[in-house]
Amino acid sequence: MSRTVIEVSDVSMRFRMNSDKIISLKEFVTSAMRGKLQYQEFTALDHVSFTVKRGETLGLIGRNGAGKSTMLKIISGILKPTEGNVICRGNVVPMLELGSGFDFDLTGRENIFLNGAILGYSEDFLNAKYGEIVEFSELGNFIESPIRNYSSGMLARLAFSVATMVQPEVLIVDEILAVGDAAFQEKSKKRMLELMGGGTTVLFVSHSLNQMREMCGRVIWLEHGQVKMCGPAQEVCDAYEGE
Amino acid sequence: MLCRLAAAALLAYTIFIILFYLLTGEQLHLRQSRGDLELPPSDSGTVELVAGSTVEQSFSVTIQRLERVEVQWGTYYRPNTGTVLMELLDLRDGSVLLSGSFDAAAITEGGLTTLAADKPIEGLYQVPLLLRITSPDGQPGSAASPLMNTQDEVEKGTLVLNGVPSSGMLCFAVHGTDYIWTGLHYWAFAVAGELLLLAGLGVIWLRLHQGKHSYVVNAVVAIQKYRFLIRQLVSRDFKTKYKRSVLGMFWSLLNPLLTMFVQYFVFSTIFKSDIPNYPAYLLIGIVTFNFFTEASGMALSSIVGNASLITKVYMPKYIYPLTRVMSSVVNLGISLIPLVLVSLVTGVQFKKSAILSLFFFCCVIIFSLGVGLLLSAAMVFFRDTQFLWGVLSMIWMYMTPIFYPESILPEDFRFILRVNPMYHFLKDIRLCILNGISPEPSVYVQCMLMALGALLIGALVFRKSQDRFVLYL
Repeated sequence: MSRTVIEVSDVSMRFRMNSDKIISLKEFVTSAMRGKLQYQEFTALDHVSFTVKRGETLGLIGRNGAGKSTMLKIISGILKPTEGNVICRGNVVPMLELGSGFDFDLTGRENIFLNGAILGYSEDFLNAKYGEIVEFSELGNFIESPIRNYSSGMLARLAFSVATMVQPEVLIVDEILAVGDAAFQEKSKKRMLELMGGGTTVLFVSHSLNQMREMCGRVIWLEHGQVKMCGPAQEVCDAYEGE
Repeated sequence: MLCRLAAAALLAYTIFIILFYLLTGEQLHLRQSRGDLELPPSDSGTVELVAGSTVEQSFSVTIQRLERVEVQWGTYYRPNTGTVLMELLDLRDGSVLLSGSFDAAAITEGGLTTLAADKPIEGLYQVPLLLRITSPDGQPGSAASPLMNTQDEVEKGTLVLNGVPSSGMLCFAVHGTDYIWTGLHYWAFAVAGELLLLAGLGVIWLRLHQGKHSYVVNAVVAIQKYRFLIRQLVSRDFKTKYKRSVLGMFWSLLNPLLTMFVQYFVFSTIFKSDIPNYPAYLLIGIVTFNFFTEASGMALSSIVGNASLITKVYMPKYIYPLTRVMSSVVNLGISLIPLVLVSLVTGVQFKKSAILSLFFFCCVIIFSLGVGLLLSAAMVFFRDTQFLWGVLSMIWMYMTPIFYPESILPEDFRFILRVNPMYHFLKDIRLCILNGISPEPSVYVQCMLMALGALLIGALVFRKSQDRFVLYL
């Protein structure tokens, strides 16, 4: 059962930063002619390697800009690393931002199917789980009205319900636990724990050290794109706090 | 699953081949001869065709199946009487191939008399022929006169008037058809294609069994996997397009119709064009080109417009332009309804060849997808693309004969049409629907190659640049 699910080997990610972001051809040509096409390299990740085993819950901590989100994006396939490679076995459901892909002119029901399709669920699965999703989101009759009429709490609840209605092999979470009112927060936390208990491998980014200690087995501390520390959650969190 | 798909591909190919054979009919084997002699402009009369006078024009043609000979007449702007006799002779043995007499009273100024063969005459390729025009009973003062052109000469032929060789040529035309080599060997080509397809499937199967990476298998798996997503995205595009408008999807019907009415009133008064069935001609142009601009324009913004998704969720990026083009296809399907209605109302005789126009619509779709992929990739790196494309697509529209006949373009500018794929697609769609005939087989191959070429270029550019998209969004 201790099969390796995610294997990150020697991954580097460098971005080219222009002093001014070039977005028009004219600007590009004129600045190229003036010899001003200088790129600043920005290294977001610098030779990072680690592995995650099946069923493990791994936390990533670090200051803003340490490369946590970049790491998650590389693992979920959105970004291609400049160097190194990532092997990921099993289907990955990224929850980087809830409700990306919602269309505000469509009804809640239509958005469940659209968002579900974007997250890679099958049609049969969505049909089977539709009732459960609606029930979990506590939206009731609002499900048939366009979501532009929803409050932000309702939107977040809908998005969370769709995203967590799967049993993915790898779940990638970027600080999404605090949605809705206190009651729903409690419910969503329970749901997350349920997911993690079900053998899902979870990658987890949060600034809340308490959450980290509570939910993760192992934590990686990233600083300036490099792994500063890696070990059991309690140890790493204490060290991070002491910094 | 793959086996079923392979069988389906084979079956589809076979059905297509047979349908194509049935639908193209005669045009598969025969085309209007490239050796046709066209009517020269007339600038003079020959002789008044009274009893005893003769007008003889010798010529030869490179037509495999000669069908008809036409002569243009002058009447001196008066009513005439008597009859005229046209004969076509084979100069090798002097035998009469065709002959016919016409009532001179029925001939109008600049009118034509046509000597048509009951059955196309074969074996006249480059044979010296003579067209002789006489009149058994023409009276001076009331006889017609065949027209001539004094500037031009018939190659390897002379004009003889009353026994006197003259410079110039008779105003006459010769039409016929030629056999198409590919058409005659249609079944051989069809079988060869089937074998090629089989071989291709065999290679794919072999590679699959050896566990090698294969683009075809990957593509099939991807389509299977993302089918539901594609359907959701297309239906999203479609639902939101007309959301909160009163008429909803009726706009897909109304838009081309209204454009047609406006352009019809504008251009039928300005140009006074002699295009037969102008409304249908116009509407075909509008529907086809509208699809192209809509699909490519929507695809253009597909990557940039979905930036929030692309940076959050992984899915193959080609899905975005693809779904945009597919929702435009749905729109195209709807706007075919007014097209059919207008065609029926204006009296277009739908022949079976009209179904063949679907082939060219497919070409337009594939072409638009290629252009769309290219544009969407370019748009990510240079946001100027959208403004450039606005201008370019306008120029493209004027370069395509949508509301004008292609004949108004001067000869010097014809090359613009020849290099414009949209012109070819449009021309053949009109040929299939309005003229009720199919273009010759090589045209199908040409059009498909143009469309696939565009798709290939677009796909290659897209594939090469897609990994960098996310950095520029």
